[in-house]
Amino acid sequence: MSIAPADLSRTEIAEDLSLDRPWITLVWNDPVNLMSYVTYVFQTYFGYSREKAEKLMLDVHQKGRAVVSNGPREKMERDTEALQGYGLWATLQRDD
Amino acid sequence: MARTFKRKGSHFVARLDEDERKVVVGLLEQTHQLLAPEPYEPTGDPFEDLVARLGLPRLYDPGQDPAHDVPAVPRDPALDRLLPSAHRDDPELAAEFRRLTEHGLREGKAANLAMAIEALLDSDGDKVRLDHEQAQAMVIALTDVRLLLGERLGLRTDEDADAFQDRLEAAADNDPHFHLAAYYDFMTWLQESLTQALMS
Repeated sequence: MSIAPADLSRTEIAEDLSLDRPWITLVWNDPVNLMSYVTYVFQTYFGYSREKAEKLMLDVHQKGRAVVSNGPREKMERDTEALQGYGLWATLQRDD
Repeated sequence: MARTFKRKGSHFVARLDEDERKVVVGLLEQTHQLLAPEPYEPTGDPFEDLVARLGLPRLYDPGQDPAHDVPAVPRDPALDRLLPSAHRDDPELAAEFRRLTEHGLREGKAANLAMAIEALLDSDGDKVRLDHEQAQAMVIALTDVRLLLGERLGLRTDEDADAFQDRLEAAADNDPHFHLAAYYDFMTWLQESLTQALMS
């Protein structure tokens, strides 16, 4: 087993992420999905705490939408696809 | 009379009589029929056909204008609710996302629905007992059923949903929407109890 130059590779990865960073995944309010289920999905898929998941769910419900994750475009595409798999109204866009 | 889902150890148990199970299975089957990926039709191009047989996204979908997300061929509006556009302002990116993900999403949803149907058909009399994997498939499958019914019932905003509740309470048996509305209400009740049980 070899040891990678940890500090160097971490710096490079951090720079890559910041270049790809400005993308977000949004979930939009809809009249069908249950408040409990939306909370359940945020906890199950993202591993968010009950408190954070409920706050995001309330933002979706009251403000019409919420940013549920941000990061590189490829990751936001995976999040959007997964959330649509759960039946949530998810979209992605550049964060500007 | 139906009894809601409750967690029992590592399982999730509800009671549904034969008629209730038939209704749920019927709705799951209709949703499965709508969502299961369309059967592959040969195009004559050997490479395109190979890609399609492997279930990979096609390089060019003849039914879709590459510059627009909405397919050129008319399709059930419920599909656009179950598989919504992934970009609100960029039809080209939305079309690209759909090309790459729609087949997989439809396969995944169809597999969940099939697992939920099987679990109900395997019930021990009126006792429906799900393990964790089946419960997760069921709660997602019930979402897709409700999205489909919601589209048929014209539920597109929160105001629609409030008006729908008022109508449902006042509805008579001879209302043509009554059965659809009653099914929707029953699915909501079932899904809420399963979600609560999964979160407990």
